[in-house]
Amino acid sequence: MMNKHIIRFPQDGQASLVANEWQVWDGEGDEGAPFNTPDLKHGLNKVLVPFHWWRSHCSGHHQNADIIERANKGEIGVWFATDDDILKHAEIIEAGKKIWPVVAAHFPIFRDGRSFSTAALLRQRFNWQNEVRAIGDVLIDQLLQGARVGFDAFELRPDQDLTVGLQQFNLFSVSTQNSWRGKRTLLEA
Amino acid sequence: MYKYDAIDQTLVDQRVAQFRDQVARRINGTLAEEEFRPLRLQNGLYHQRHAYMLRVAIPYGLLSAKQLRTLALIAEKYDRGYGHFTTRQNIQFNWIELDQTPDILAELAKVEMHAIQTSGNCIRNITSDAFAGVAGDEYIDPRPVCELLRQWSTLHPEFAHLPRKFKFAINGAKEDRTVLLCHDVGIELKKNAAGELIADIYAGGGMGRTPILGSLIKQDVPWQVLPSYLTALLRVYNRFGRRDNLYKARIKILVKALGPEEFARQVEGEWTHIKNGDDNFTQAEWDRVAKHFTKPAYQQLSALSEQQIVAGAPETERSAFARWLERNVKPHQVAGYASVILSLKPHGTVAPGDATVAQMNAIADLSDQYSFGELRVTHEQNLVLADVEQSKLLELWQAAKQQHVALPNIGLLTDIIACPGGDFCSLANAKSLPIAKAIQERFDNLDYLFDLGDISLNISGCINSCGHHHVGNIGVLGVDKDGEEWYQITLGGEQGNDAAIGKVIGPSFYADEIPDVITNVINTYVTQRTDDESFIDAYRRIGVTPFKEAAYKNAKKKDKAVDQKESAAS
Repeated sequence: MMNKHIIRFPQDGQASLVANEWQVWDGEGDEGAPFNTPDLKHGLNKVLVPFHWWRSHCSGHHQNADIIERANKGEIGVWFATDDDILKHAEIIEAGKKIWPVVAAHFPIFRDGRSFSTAALLRQRFNWQNEVRAIGDVLIDQLLQGARVGFDAFELRPDQDLTVGLQQFNLFSVSTQNSWRGKRTLLEA
Repeated sequence: MYKYDAIDQTLVDQRVAQFRDQVARRINGTLAEEEFRPLRLQNGLYHQRHAYMLRVAIPYGLLSAKQLRTLALIAEKYDRGYGHFTTRQNIQFNWIELDQTPDILAELAKVEMHAIQTSGNCIRNITSDAFAGVAGDEYIDPRPVCELLRQWSTLHPEFAHLPRKFKFAINGAKEDRTVLLCHDVGIELKKNAAGELIADIYAGGGMGRTPILGSLIKQDVPWQVLPSYLTALLRVYNRFGRRDNLYKARIKILVKALGPEEFARQVEGEWTHIKNGDDNFTQAEWDRVAKHFTKPAYQQLSALSEQQIVAGAPETERSAFARWLERNVKPHQVAGYASVILSLKPHGTVAPGDATVAQMNAIADLSDQYSFGELRVTHEQNLVLADVEQSKLLELWQAAKQQHVALPNIGLLTDIIACPGGDFCSLANAKSLPIAKAIQERFDNLDYLFDLGDISLNISGCINSCGHHHVGNIGVLGVDKDGEEWYQITLGGEQGNDAAIGKVIGPSFYADEIPDVITNVINTYVTQRTDDESFIDAYRRIGVTPFKEAAYKNAKKKDKAVDQKESAAS
């Protein structure tokens, strides 16, 4: 199940609801059921594939021609699981900058903060400029933290109230440590 | 002490508003309890046996008279007339209604206080030396670094959902009064040859189920780069700390699994990329904070000898006053001044660390009158008036007696550290407070306590170790066995520079056996000690065996199952 809308909050912009163009594929059904099942009925043919799946199908010796072709059309991105060590695969991620319009980091449960560090590393270490999306068990009370570490798009858990979600980003007008969105208030003054 | 500027005040005010909205959503049912739980914990709100408990931060133990009066007001208006000071320089209120918590936090914000990150899997309230800035053995006043790091860690987004709680302690004195090595991160401040402030970083200490002393992982870190270094350290922990098992999620388990060298190497690798970034502190930030930690307006006084001070007391009170001077008054950096510890450990009447509304208000008045309107909270759950003129000690002693906070038992057997235990805490396996009471009643003889000298006795109601039993010379731990409350004894723990984790002596005891067990252990010490030998020194010389034999001399019940389980765990 995917959300029709996501919250997009650009680094220098306002948070708003936008249509969700990307479906998240969990990587299941790979064997014997080739990855070729975009949701054409809803016009959704952009897919976030698991990073580990990309590694085994689309990098190094493994080059899945179909997927590469679709990737070249900007229809493929990857999502990082909490146990993907992105620093170990820096070359693939560097190469991905030219390929993936969107990457995502997954929250298996809202209180698992590993993807906060993933997003921070993508922005700081890889200087990732494209969208970094939070997916999985994303709740409105984690939006502000996510926005500050480096996420600029959020596919919330379907039961979450997006209107309340949009209000979360303006709760604080000050901060006491730097974030992806700006320096601490003292240094900005 | 530190005074909020507009940034600090705005932040706590907006945090109150945020929490008010979260509480409202919880009450109207749009926020489920499971999802509210981490949110309330990160604002110090626990759900306990009888009610909610609110833990309020007293950053690095510093408190103004005005703030203490607000704590009294909260105890009176929203609780049952008392508060409980904790080992980590917080205060807890045990009888709180959920819907009133936003109002309580708003009251706190008015006096520059909050409950931010006093619980939850985040960077907790930073603790330090209760005698910071006045201790005779201090080489660096740790308070500016404490405050800089308090601000840096407050609402830090990347580290809001760590694998487990994360505690900093910061020390700048020769004697460690912060239990530095039992913290996730211990920061030992010092100066290099050029006189610059630098820090040694210890990581992976902790108590709980697996007590471990921290390892030195980095030396000579300049104060300016603490934010980037600590970011690197916390990032390694956030990414690789275990999340599959609550009991193995603390950083100590990661450091132990990797080995301190490998952990340090990984932190160094991460730090290399961020050490020159603009996360680091600037001189302007130091100046903004440090200007609040200047010396108060001390008078030019000449130091008084103890004889001179005692001579001021009426003849009949001199020996009692001298005892109080010996145990409850500590040397000060400035001639003519002393620091006074007010004991929150009366014998057998209230829980260790508890203060009533009347006491809090009266102590606030005492601090105004005798100590520049400031107080400190100690790791041992007592209060300190740090800057008292020696010539006023007699007056202060007499006033403190009126409030029942002048018992001269600091550092003695009855200065017990104890968590609230099973009377309040839903985590506890057993009660702590009746055990503390029974021991205090058994040893309610000051002559004898003075003769015994320095002994620490710490009680935890469960293995979470909030009562720091692992570092008590005598530790008492509540354990659950088939629904019954048992108590395990450890010996040989120590805080300070020679920190050590106590050893379990054997099978657990029933509650009613504990006073006899402690008596037998103490009698062994009395029999075996040489002239001035302290309990811990005697223990280290003769070993556990004589104490153990004495402890079980009259034991009527043993529980082998508990014994085996605990031996396997330790």
